[in-house]
Amino acid sequence: MANTIDSIKQKLGTKETITWCPGCPNFLILESVKRTIAELIEESKGKIKQEDFAMSTGIGCHAKIFDYLDISGIYGLHGRTISFAEGIKLGNEKLNVLAFAGDGDTYAEGMEHFIHAFRHNEDITLIVHDNQSFSLTTGQPTPTTQQGYKSKATPQGEKEKPLNPIKLALAAGGKFIARANARNITQTTEILKKAIKHKGFSYVEIVQDCLIFNKEMDNKDSMMYSVENKDKAKAEKLAEEWDYNSKKGKIPIGIIYEE
Amino acid sequence: MRLNILIGGKAGQGINKVSEIVSKTLSSYGWFTFNYRDYQSLIRGGHNFNILSISDKWIASHESKVDGIIALDENTSKIHQKELKKDSFVLTEKGFEDLGINLNVALAGALIKILGIEKKFLLDEIKEQFHNSESLEEAEKGYNSQKQKYSLKKLENKMKIINGNEGITQGAINSNMDHYFAYPMTPATEIIHKFATLSEKNNINVVLPENEIAVINMALGANFSGARAMIGTAGGGFDLMTEALSFQGQSEIPLVVYLASRPGPSTGVPTYTSQDDLDVALRAGHGEFPRIVLAPGDPVECTELINQAFYLSEKFNALSLVLSDKHLAESEYSINKPVHNIIKVIESKRKIPQKNGIIKASSYEHDEHGNTIEDSEGIIKGVQRRLKRYEDIKKEVKKFQMIKIHGNKNSKNLIIGWGSTKGAIIDAINSENLDAKFLQVLYIKPLSDEIKEYIEKSKNVILVENNITGQLGRLIREKTGIKIEEKNRILKYDGRPFTSDELKEEIKKRLK
Repeated sequence: MANTIDSIKQKLGTKETITWCPGCPNFLILESVKRTIAELIEESKGKIKQEDFAMSTGIGCHAKIFDYLDISGIYGLHGRTISFAEGIKLGNEKLNVLAFAGDGDTYAEGMEHFIHAFRHNEDITLIVHDNQSFSLTTGQPTPTTQQGYKSKATPQGEKEKPLNPIKLALAAGGKFIARANARNITQTTEILKKAIKHKGFSYVEIVQDCLIFNKEMDNKDSMMYSVENKDKAKAEKLAEEWDYNSKKGKIPIGIIYEE
Repeated sequence: MRLNILIGGKAGQGINKVSEIVSKTLSSYGWFTFNYRDYQSLIRGGHNFNILSISDKWIASHESKVDGIIALDENTSKIHQKELKKDSFVLTEKGFEDLGINLNVALAGALIKILGIEKKFLLDEIKEQFHNSESLEEAEKGYNSQKQKYSLKKLENKMKIINGNEGITQGAINSNMDHYFAYPMTPATEIIHKFATLSEKNNINVVLPENEIAVINMALGANFSGARAMIGTAGGGFDLMTEALSFQGQSEIPLVVYLASRPGPSTGVPTYTSQDDLDVALRAGHGEFPRIVLAPGDPVECTELINQAFYLSEKFNALSLVLSDKHLAESEYSINKPVHNIIKVIESKRKIPQKNGIIKASSYEHDEHGNTIEDSEGIIKGVQRRLKRYEDIKKEVKKFQMIKIHGNKNSKNLIIGWGSTKGAIIDAINSENLDAKFLQVLYIKPLSDEIKEYIEKSKNVILVENNITGQLGRLIREKTGIKIEEKNRILKYDGRPFTSDELKEEIKKRLK
């Protein structure tokens, strides 16, 4: 079985040169995504094929995954990945559609689509690579960047407090809300598989370090612990456990809420 | 014979119902009508009016001077007194005070009597539209209250009444459109309602996303995975879509856009008309990429050109924009010939994900697999491929009527116009058999080479447009180097369409 999965994973790669920074957790996310798709194909016993997947991306470091993953898709526009993905699903409901996004991409530019996606409840999966900075444009603060973050754009430190996207997703009526740790490939794969299998809109926020910018928020693994929850009231408490603003508290990783 | 009747009142009183009953009754009586709708951006109250033009010959405009006023409130006759011709009539709500919601039905009945049409035609129409005896009684009461003023003879024409938006809808159905994405915005909103009504019968999915940005990107997503979607909007919504138009240029996912204009800039005058948006349709979106811009001039052309837009978009993975405006979109025309030549929209060689394997579309400059490239050779290839696509489009569109010539074909006076001004220009020429021919531009991009030839063969060129800068005139100058003289540009930019009587006087001043 491992061999089959490896050979499917092999086919999911492309010949393109990967241009993420050396050591970037995006490599790990790519690996988790490949494992997810490979395992779903393998487990389906021939029912699901590589051609049955499609993706859309925004623009940013996360979106480079488009060139490295050999499935159909649209390399989209900054902030618009959800709209493209919803359209792809409307055009062909048989496709398993993954929408890749960044934190600036979706929580800033594409916020309106994020909130409405929960209401539209199309059967697609949103995967946000959240490294708490606009990295491809050299490190400006995004809506999930901590207060006080110093960058070329904010030499006096970021004034605003970050947004908690998990809380927002719950308020927006999310029916599948999960958080993953980019560094934990096994767990991320499990989460992504559940997200894809969920009927309706599923949202996976991947906590990810940026090795070049906003380094003070890196290395939060010791704060993380695993959860799997189906209780709405508890989900609201879990969402509050980490405010994105500091390295204090606990960071629940796993299914925060599934209806 | 031609009559113009102004029907006015407050929003919510049912002036459109009066127009509808009367024009449908006239239709079954074999007469041609054109109904202009002048309404404010409010739901109840204010002052709205229609001008219903009636003729024994085909017309596609209204006139500024009216033969009668039907006033559903006091204000109407006061406001429009000065527009009355000599020997005209005014019919007010007086005498019908106790009717309440049936006032419109009674006044429609009254007008039918004034026109001298047999009661039977009125009652048949009322039975068709209403299923209660009360409406029938009130229509009859209205009819019996008046004396006959005209005696319209029964004609044998067979026709139906449609507006531009309905023409667009029909064209999309003829093209097997399966998804319509839109966000409400006057004057394109009505299309949403039309498709929603037809959705079950024609298997159309009507989607109303959170904003115009989602509208266009969802439509592109759907077309990428195999749908045949169309989107519709007006100026402000179109502006929001601009980035995705450019994305279309790079990704080469086919898309048909219906753009119905109103006076701008910005919110402008939402429920009135203008031809302000030709420039933005031609240029919106960064980068250099091909597009097709079409301009129907009546509902039949709306049907035909939307069909051609789908055909061309599908064949060349292209962006097709079909321009209309409030006047064309919402005015009601008599149509006495059905659309014959429906072009079958053939699926392009474009590959569809899943069906044809793994397919990638990209906003980045890309190679043949859809993966990102940045090398100069690859960029040149992409840029040239897009230009080549436009060259192919230019060849293909020659099989369609890119321009039409109306009026006196041998005249040395040439009138040039596009879109909704068509009706008023033709009616102006026909009313006094003016020594003028009218060149109607249907294909704005690509623009026909024949336009230059027609201009060169003419002694006198007159431009008619519903905007202040003469946008088509400027385009013709850009493409041909020929400038249409300032004094020969008849430009109207008060939010109102041309009326054929006023336009006729303006044309006559300029004829040589």
